[in-house]
Amino acid sequence: MSVLPAEAMPAEVLVRVEGLSKHFGVKTGSGQALLRAVDDVSFDIRKGETFGLVGESGSGKSTVARLMLRAYRLTAGRVLFRLSDGTVADISALDDRAMRPIRREMQMIFQDPYSSLNPRMTLRDLIGEPMSVHGATRAEIDARVAELLACVGLRPEYAGRYPHAFSGGQRQRIGIARALALSPALIAADEAVSALDVSVAAQNINLLQDLQEQFDLTYLFITHDLGMVEHISNRIAVMYLGRIVELGETEEIFARPMHPYTEALLGAVPQPDPRKRRSGRRQVLKGEVPSAVNPPSGCAFHPRCPYATERCAAELPALREVGGRQVRCHFAEELALQGVEA
Amino acid sequence: MSNPTLPPMPSERLLDLRDVQVGFATRDGRVAAVNSVTYHVDRGEVLGIVGESGSGKSVTVRAIMRLLAKNAVEGAGGSIRFNPDGDRELLLSAEHKNSRLMREIRGGRIGMIFQEPMTALSPVHTVGTQIMRTVMLHRKCGRTEARARAVELLGKVQLPNPEEMVDRYPHQMSGGMRQRAMIALALCCDPVLLIADEPTTALDVTTEAQILDLLKSLQDELGMAIIFITHNFGVVADIADRVAVMYLGRIVETGSVDDIFYAPKHPYTQALLQSIPRLGQARVRRLKTIRGSVPDPYNVPKGCPFHTRCDFADAALCGTELPPRKAFAGDQSALCHFAGELREAGQ
Ligand SMILES: Nc1ncnc2c1ncn2[C@@H]1O[C@H](COP(=O)(O)OP(=O)(O)OP(=O)(O)O)[C@@H](O)[C@H]1O
Ligand SMILES: Nc1ncnc2c1ncn2[C@@H]1O[C@H](COP(=O)(O)OP(=O)(O)OP(=O)(O)O)[C@@H](O)[C@H]1O
Ligand SMILES: [Mg+2]
Ligand SMILES: [Mg+2]
Repeated sequence: MSVLPAEAMPAEVLVRVEGLSKHFGVKTGSGQALLRAVDDVSFDIRKGETFGLVGESGSGKSTVARLMLRAYRLTAGRVLFRLSDGTVADISALDDRAMRPIRREMQMIFQDPYSSLNPRMTLRDLIGEPMSVHGATRAEIDARVAELLACVGLRPEYAGRYPHAFSGGQRQRIGIARALALSPALIAADEAVSALDVSVAAQNINLLQDLQEQFDLTYLFITHDLGMVEHISNRIAVMYLGRIVELGETEEIFARPMHPYTEALLGAVPQPDPRKRRSGRRQVLKGEVPSAVNPPSGCAFHPRCPYATERCAAELPALREVGGRQVRCHFAEELALQGVEA
Repeated sequence: MSNPTLPPMPSERLLDLRDVQVGFATRDGRVAAVNSVTYHVDRGEVLGIVGESGSGKSVTVRAIMRLLAKNAVEGAGGSIRFNPDGDRELLLSAEHKNSRLMREIRGGRIGMIFQEPMTALSPVHTVGTQIMRTVMLHRKCGRTEARARAVELLGKVQLPNPEEMVDRYPHQMSGGMRQRAMIALALCCDPVLLIADEPTTALDVTTEAQILDLLKSLQDELGMAIIFITHNFGVVADIADRVAVMYLGRIVETGSVDDIFYAPKHPYTQALLQSIPRLGQARVRRLKTIRGSVPDPYNVPKGCPFHTRCDFADAALCGTELPPRKAFAGDQSALCHFAGELREAGQ
């Protein structure tokens, strides 16, 4: 059995991802090919922290979350998860049956609150469904649904309504209430506020932070909004073409990135400050994200990297420890990259 | 034809909207989507329009293009005037969707980019064919010339290998490439006005930065004006000369981009600016928020549309009387009883 002793990972770690890979078989013009959506990804998420995952579209962020929550089968690697009793389970090795009691401890909130909520179910059924699957009684469910609605700032009287009667931001809260129903330890929020207006996103981000404190939650927070990720995350991992290129404390990475891709991402963010545009510092990254079916040789970022040398085209840099963080660049020590000015 | 009751537009003025009203008849009653919207665009300038979802940004530009849905009801007192070449004021608000003038203007003097390129680009034709059709329609030219123009345009929007791209179908392109093709289509007849409705919202920051740079350089080169709709304040700061802020179907504040960001006069503008997390800002525990939510457009509150959520509202005044538009230096104005008396909470 794959339950490991508590010492299998440090006490502060809730989830450990080791050498995670996911390859999809895809059709191309000339037959079958392998798409490396996620390649050899490893990180720890500590209990009570918010771990941010950033990167361009197609870099593998959602796939990492799905692998962690076992919505996909892994191609390689393993996922260790600390259960509420303190023991550690290798969930990559569990079958669906053994996985069931563990699944309640990990929940996901999705980007699209419209398609992820069944329009024919009332809020009571939507939010109560995970509990009834786990065998709660009607009265227990009703009481818990009312409590959860209050938690996410919706009126308990709304329990009998259908999702179409709510705005996008409110639907997102319904998704949050549903994720909270089974008192999970970990919530993966995949672009959970990306589609919302600034003021609604701000309300929901504050709500997520309040709930984190109240219920001692750990978040995996996926977004392409770097301002948001800086605000909410303790640590972040930056992904490019299925691999982690930089990982460390949010504040340190934003102040002084060590990977040229991180620098480019930070530089691309349009800032709500017209003076900055006139100072003209913004550097625009050229070209497109290469195909994950046919990635570039060496460092996958080299064709777009302003600092690339011949070595970068030839040799894949290892993810190494540099100054308290992990960086996948041959020149991490030599480059003095530009972060975000306060 | 021009309207004799309106003063003539100054020569620098390209587009002028006054008191535009659009409602929709629905099963549940009437939705007042756009209420007395007044704004203008001068030649060669970029007007940014920001505001929450449902505030009427898209409906207003659809009224300009005469592309309103069938159930739309327009107020009689409003006017939309367009002076493309400086010598004739066209009263667009008097035109029907399919009038000869509108068919000429759409895709001709006014180009449009939509949020989701897949809805504007046909999936069954190559991008080249789609650009060629528009060019042939408006320029009355032959296929060879139209194809050459399509290749030129695809190069202009910086698509790699335009000779090859011209024969691609939209689904064979990435999101950023499709958005460029969409821009090429919108530009194909040298418009004097480009309407861009959330053109970068679906894109990555890196692709967004590329598209914004592209639009800026094209605007420099071609001298066209742009109406740029977005809900991203970073994007507005990056591209706009002037900004209009919409709330519940009304323009609550307009001004130069600097005045809007550094000296906002309307409490809604101030609150929005405070609710965005800014890169590099000292970490704050909580974001500022605006209490409550946008009222239902079927039941717009009496008085100031924002009073139900405003920290400065005086129930007796703001809850009953629609505020006047107060004007300030530099063409800034705000729809608030207390504008100019509040602490300016800019940066
Ligand atoms: N079921 C699948 N079959 C084949 N390819 C897939 C599948 N799911 C994802 N991919 C591919 O894997 C790569 C990573 O996708 P993923 O959705 O994880 O990216 P992401 O970083 O979440 O992007 P986004 O920001 O657009 O959500 C992409 O190239 C994607 O096309
Ligand atoms: N055909 C229609 N029938 C009924 N109501 C409509 C119709 N079209 C738009 N509306 C309503 O008009 C209002 C303004 O919509 P509009 O699309 O202009 O908002 P917007 O500011 O562009 O929002 P977003 O940022 O979400 O695009 C909304 O309340 C919308 O629901
Ligand atoms: Mg994703
Ligand atoms: Mg819109």
